[in-house]
Amino acid sequence: MNIEKVVTSKTTDQVDIKLLKHIQDGIPLVERPYKEIGEALGMTEEEVISRIKGLLETKKVRRFAASVAHRKIGINSNAMCVWRVPSDRVEAVGKVMAGFPEVTHCYERPTFPDWPYNLFTMIHGYADGECERVIEEMQEKTGVKDYVILYSEKEFKKTGTRI
Amino acid sequence: MELTREDKKILHRLQSNFPLTPHPFRTLAEELGLEESEVLRRTRAMAEKGIFRRLGPIIDTHEMGNTASLMAMRVPEGRIEEVSRTINAYTGVSHNYLRKGKNKEIPYNVWFTMSAPNKQELVRLIKEIEEKTGLEVRNLPTTKKFKIGVKFNIYSGE
Repeated sequence: MNIEKVVTSKTTDQVDIKLLKHIQDGIPLVERPYKEIGEALGMTEEEVISRIKGLLETKKVRRFAASVAHRKIGINSNAMCVWRVPSDRVEAVGKVMAGFPEVTHCYERPTFPDWPYNLFTMIHGYADGECERVIEEMQEKTGVKDYVILYSEKEFKKTGTRI
Repeated sequence: MELTREDKKILHRLQSNFPLTPHPFRTLAEELGLEESEVLRRTRAMAEKGIFRRLGPIIDTHEMGNTASLMAMRVPEGRIEEVSRTINAYTGVSHNYLRKGKNKEIPYNVWFTMSAPNKQELVRLIKEIEEKTGLEVRNLPTTKKFKIGVKFNIYSGE
C-alpha cells in the first residue's frame, strides 16, 4: 500500500524544495550530473534521480529539459495575439487555436470594460511575417475577427519559473 | 552560431525530456548514434552560445501550490524604465515586456507575469506595486489553459 505517497502527493517536502532550488538554474553539464548534484546536497545519485522522477510524476515539474532560446535558433517572428471570443464559443475556438503548431500558449483570461479580449495566444515562427500568416489562418478557421497583435518592443526580464 | 545537423538532433532531444539515468549523455548518445563525448561537447557549446537558457526542471507554479498571473499596466512614456526596475526587483516576476498593439491601440504597455506562494500574497504584492508606482495594475489570471508547452520545431528553419 502506498498510503504515505498518496497523502503527501500535493505537498512538496523540504528535500524536494532544496533539490529544486539547487537545480532550477540548470544542472551541471558533466558526464554524471546527478552524482555531482547529490554530492553537493548530501544525497545519493539514485535519490536525486528518483526525486526528479517523483516531481515529474506529481507534475510539479512539467518537463525536465532544456529551455531553448528561440530567437537564437532563428525563430524571429514572435507575437502575442489576443482575441475577443463570444463566451459560448471560447471552448471550441480555444481548442482550434491550440491545434496550430506555431501556437505555443493558448489561455482564457477575464475581460474588463477597457479590455474585451479573453483569449490569449503566443505564436512563434521562423520566417518574417510568419506570425501574420498564422494569425490570418487562425481567423479563417475560427471566424473570430476582433483581435490585436501585441509585439514586444523590449524585454525587461525573462527567467524561468523559480522557487 | 550555425547549428549542424547533429546539434539540431541533440537540441531536439534536450528540449523534450532529458534522460534520468546515471550517464544521461551516454543514454542520449546511444539513442542518436553519436559518441558520449561528442554529445557532451556539443551540448556545452550550445549552452555557452546561449542556444538554450538552462537544462533543468521546468517548474509548474500551480502544482507547487503557488499561484501566478499575467499583469498589465499603463505606464507613462517617461516612467517606463523606472517602473520596470521596480517590477523586476520582485523575484516572483518571471517575464516583463514592453508591448505595443500593431493593428489597434491598447490601453496597457507594460506586461509581466508574477507568482507568489498563494493568492493573498499575490494580491498583496500587486497592491504594493500600485503603491510604489502610483499606477494601477490590471490582474489577468488564467481562467482556462488550452495549451502550454514551449517546444519549438527545431528543424523547420532549414
